[in-house]
Amino acid sequence: MNIMFSGVSKIFEPDIAALVDININIEQGEFVYIIGQTGSGKSTLLRLITRELLPSRGTVAVGDFDLRRMRSADVPYYRRDVGLVAQDFRLIQTLTVYENIAFAMEAMSVPKRIVAERTKDVINQVGLWRRRNMRPAQLSGGEQQRVAIARALANSPSLFIADEPTGNLDFHTAAEVMKILFAINSAGVTVVMSTHNQSIVNASRQRVIELDNGRLIRDEIGGTYTG
Amino acid sequence: MTTLKYILRDTWRLIVHHWVLGLLTLITAGVMLWILGVTTLFSLNLENLLTRLESELVVQAYLVKDNTINIDSISERIQSLEYVYRMRAWSPSDSLAKLQEKMGSQSRALDMIGDNPIPWNFEIHVNSARDVEPLVKALQAMPEVEDVVYAGMVVRRISALSRISSRVAFVMFMLSVIITALVVYNTIHISLYSRREEIGIMYLVGATRSYIATPFVLEGTLLALLGAIIAAGGIVAAYFPGIAFIQSNLPFLHSSLITEQGIIWRFCALLAGFGATLGWVCSYLVVARFINAITKPE
Repeated sequence: MNIMFSGVSKIFEPDIAALVDININIEQGEFVYIIGQTGSGKSTLLRLITRELLPSRGTVAVGDFDLRRMRSADVPYYRRDVGLVAQDFRLIQTLTVYENIAFAMEAMSVPKRIVAERTKDVINQVGLWRRRNMRPAQLSGGEQQRVAIARALANSPSLFIADEPTGNLDFHTAAEVMKILFAINSAGVTVVMSTHNQSIVNASRQRVIELDNGRLIRDEIGGTYTG
Repeated sequence: MTTLKYILRDTWRLIVHHWVLGLLTLITAGVMLWILGVTTLFSLNLENLLTRLESELVVQAYLVKDNTINIDSISERIQSLEYVYRMRAWSPSDSLAKLQEKMGSQSRALDMIGDNPIPWNFEIHVNSARDVEPLVKALQAMPEVEDVVYAGMVVRRISALSRISSRVAFVMFMLSVIITALVVYNTIHISLYSRREEIGIMYLVGATRSYIATPFVLEGTLLALLGAIIAAGGIVAAYFPGIAFIQSNLPFLHSSLITEQGIIWRFCALLAGFGATLGWVCSYLVVARFINAITKPE
């Protein structure tokens, strides 16, 4: 799934410009870091891709979808092809690890047998099978992030959006999460990840898009992050 | 089928998760719908009674004693008045015979009067007590009519009672509907609010609005339906013993009361359907509003 931002600005009421005239083109299968200081517009950019926000100006196109003109009824079908991992995990606290992952497929009316098989697969992929009956509150931050990744993987998305997925994790756990994200990308899935973790960006040398005060100041393949 | 299973499971989870609130809603809906049902039945019985009384209301119009009067022509004119339901003309001799029959053994007293004093007269029935006053005025305006006899006070009281009972029934009906609707609305709103984060996550991972909304709508519909069934049970339990009590203590009311079991069962089925519809409408409104607000992109 390719992503195209054409002249995109996002202004929050009354007149806070979160993004100003952004032009980006991300091809299918790329791994892209969105970097910048807190408040630079990283999360806004990702939320425009997931259509939690609409641009004030310009066009955001993902695959065949023009997100601004998309009908609300089509949004769920679009999101089924987009895996999302957030810094705060967004897990349902009353459900177990297994249920948190399964419900993403149940919402799509996937038959129970297939849900069971696929849930087992993705839980194994993130190495949490032994924790499957625990609730999020019983897991460490890294484990919760892996549950969120497993949920995002459940529907085999073509696009994977990760908003500071290592933000709350120690170095070792963050490295484990990154290993999973690279594995996802190596299967041809486009990964767009925001971070302000320099060591992670510098360790893998992927495409780097840097934002500052809502403006795109750098778009570099194999870039580094010097802060 | 798979979707239905998931939706039913989620509905059950919602009810179990908020069982205290659900129970309170059930009780409130049950009580309010019981009041609604009882008020409606009371009103129907009162309406029946008033209709019977009204059908027995008679206006008697006596003509002047004049042999030149054309009875057929007057009869046609009275018949053409819009308030007349049915009427019968009584000749002087028929009227006397009727009076003698009524008086029985004392009818010999009538012989002392001499000539028959009763003129041609008309016995007129109306549809409603409200028609009596205008009918009387119309009859009094006719030169051939000498006197009009009717139970004025009774007519006015029946009319007033009929008006008051309709208004009271309407107010009670509206109050019960509004309170039930508010309680269901509030319960579903709390249910939605407590799961707002979950709803947001579900929408974000690709659940459709209808998939998210249906369990909440079903929860509201089920609670109101169960409340209505409880209310219907309460009505059946209270109505038949109540009717039996009235029949034994006020036997003259017997023919005016609704005693047929079939009608009451049909009424209860109607009440259950009404409860379910009310629950569905309220839940649908609150769920649509809430989910629209929570899923709308900024």
